[in-house]
Amino acid sequence: MSTKPNVIRKCLWPACLVGLLITGILSLDCNLLHFYLRKVTWQNLRLLSSTSSSFPAECLSETKAFELPQEILSHTQPVKRYIKEAFYEMSIQAFNIFSQYTLKSTWESDDLKQIQIGLDQQLQYLEQCLEEEEKEKEDLKEMTEDGMNWSGALVPQLSSLELRRYFNRIDNFLKEKRHSHCAWEIIRAEIRRCFYYFQKFAALLKKK
Amino acid sequence: MLWSQNASPLRSQNLCFVVCISLLSGVLSSLPELSDKSCTFKVTLRNFRVILSWEVKNHSIVPDHYTLQYTVISRPDGVKTVEHCSNITASFCDLTDVWEVLPETYAVTVDGFRGNTTLVTCFVDFFLAAYISLEPPEFDIVNFIDHINVNVNFPPVLPKILEELLQFHLSLIIEEQSGEIVKKHNPVLDENVIGNFTYVIDKLLPNTNYCVSIYFMPRNLEAIRRSPVKCTLLQPARDTGSSESARIGGIITMFLIAAVFISTIIILKRVGYICLRNDFPKVLNFNNLSAWVFPEMPPLEAVAFVEVIHINRKKKVWNYNYNDESDSNDEATAPLTSTGGYTKHGLLSGLPGPTSASSATGQDCLEPDTEEPNLSELEAESLMAPEPSPRLGKLLQDRFSEDGSSTEEAGDKIIFNVNLSSVFVSTLDDDSDIPPVLPSFPEETYDLEDSHTLEPSFLASGGEGTQPPFPTPSAECPCPEDVLSDKNDNSESDVDIGDGYIMR
Repeated sequence: MSTKPNVIRKCLWPACLVGLLITGILSLDCNLLHFYLRKVTWQNLRLLSSTSSSFPAECLSETKAFELPQEILSHTQPVKRYIKEAFYEMSIQAFNIFSQYTLKSTWESDDLKQIQIGLDQQLQYLEQCLEEEEKEKEDLKEMTEDGMNWSGALVPQLSSLELRRYFNRIDNFLKEKRHSHCAWEIIRAEIRRCFYYFQKFAALLKKK
Repeated sequence: MLWSQNASPLRSQNLCFVVCISLLSGVLSSLPELSDKSCTFKVTLRNFRVILSWEVKNHSIVPDHYTLQYTVISRPDGVKTVEHCSNITASFCDLTDVWEVLPETYAVTVDGFRGNTTLVTCFVDFFLAAYISLEPPEFDIVNFIDHINVNVNFPPVLPKILEELLQFHLSLIIEEQSGEIVKKHNPVLDENVIGNFTYVIDKLLPNTNYCVSIYFMPRNLEAIRRSPVKCTLLQPARDTGSSESARIGGIITMFLIAAVFISTIIILKRVGYICLRNDFPKVLNFNNLSAWVFPEMPPLEAVAFVEVIHINRKKKVWNYNYNDESDSNDEATAPLTSTGGYTKHGLLSGLPGPTSASSATGQDCLEPDTEEPNLSELEAESLMAPEPSPRLGKLLQDRFSEDGSSTEEAGDKIIFNVNLSSVFVSTLDDDSDIPPVLPSFPEETYDLEDSHTLEPSFLASGGEGTQPPFPTPSAECPCPEDVLSDKNDNSESDVDIGDGYIMR
């Protein structure tokens, strides 16, 4: 019985920190999402550039085109919700890929951890804002019963599928190359490129 | 891949060469990392051109010419040779028209030759969007009186890679510095900005030195490369056309002066230094001139003036002459003679009131002698008093009506109440030829001309309600015999005016 107060005391401080973190995340303003996404994405891009000294010349023969979706490459301005969903899909897939990283490569472990933390925070922020949009969308559906909103929802689903396929190709490449050093270097360059295009997407969120 | 097939033998030869060189120089280098440790690469945006420059780290190795090749990692299209960068003596290459896509990783190989011998092979990969160094563009300034035109020289055709840079990554900043004051201007650039771009820095002070500098500021907080500063001295303002700023400054100065002046006046007025208050109390209000000129007289008091007359008294030796039947014992019947002096007269009748009529001299509570001179003098003075008391007036009337025979009215008493506080005293000349008009009294006379025994006496009289200067008559009365004897014997002692009071 005497150990309970000690446990409570030990857990009190971390619990407070977690509570503050959750509160801080929950209180994030979705109007500033574009600023946060652009900043974190560019930071991850720089970390990917610095985590490795240079691309090995011998790996040039193993390069592959992973075909990033055209919607991401083009300069058209998609709807806001699609951008957020695309960000969400990209963050999840990139986080899963970097979680497969092994110690065989020469990447800086600290840089990789920071990339994963940034992706995780980005995911939480996006989940909160997407839930808010979902609630607003349901309320609007009840009021208007507009078919346009329903058709608009199909577009982001297709784009998310394309993104998912893109990251599947990356994942398959890693598995095919057995997570070799050259495979990781090729994947590092490809995801850095993907981050750059999503960083441009964040600017579109602001313009909208 | 062509690149991969040719790379291996070339790299082995270069490796041996590099190893030999490094053994000679005493420097060891690892095989996998040979290429990227041999050279230092740099990609800059110089005058809106993408320039790749390199430098061999080992300065002992000086190639004659260089050849540059590149490949895009995300596009496995093989190694591409830049024709205008093959067999060049310069250690840089303009890749503006070669590298059109910004977010790509370009793997570059530069071979340094001396003759046909490859001295050094440098390999590096660039993610252009993150590694490009932005040099400031060329610009000119044109100064005027109160503004400066900054002309930035953009190329007539903007490369694709610059379009994306200017649209997403770069902001053109124009800095204006005058003394220690630095202002930054961020002109908005169109997506398709071409030709010369002119920006006007206005609202400047004439005859002032200004320095202008421009640079591209990365939106991702990367390093800034500032252009060289260009300074100019603005022309002074002309007399005919005064600058708007000077006019505004003059107007502001005038307003400030007026505000200071008005506030000073207000403060002085509130303090009371100027414009003193003139709302005096009513008492001090002299605007009512009539009241000021003709003040209201205080109510007059009943005043009776008393004139003090010097009495030269001398001790008279009583000449007892009993042959004369006019016995002095009979005070009331003693004739009075007046030789010009005052006569002391006994108190006779004439006073209104029952007490004076019924009382006899023996019952007189007052010293008749003492009262007589008072009476006489009072009578004399009452002649000159403006408003004698009624009682005194009555007394005088009775006295004048008498023919020296007031003493016959025995038993009359006269009581005087003289208020010493309201005595008006004046002295008369002793040489006055006109004797004061006095009623004759049968009593003693005093020679006023005799100055030996001149002793002034002061009387006090007044109107009604006055008090006697000497003790009032008490209930106890002296014996009549004493009174008579005193009257007979002490005529000269009846009046003792040693201290100014008439006493008996």
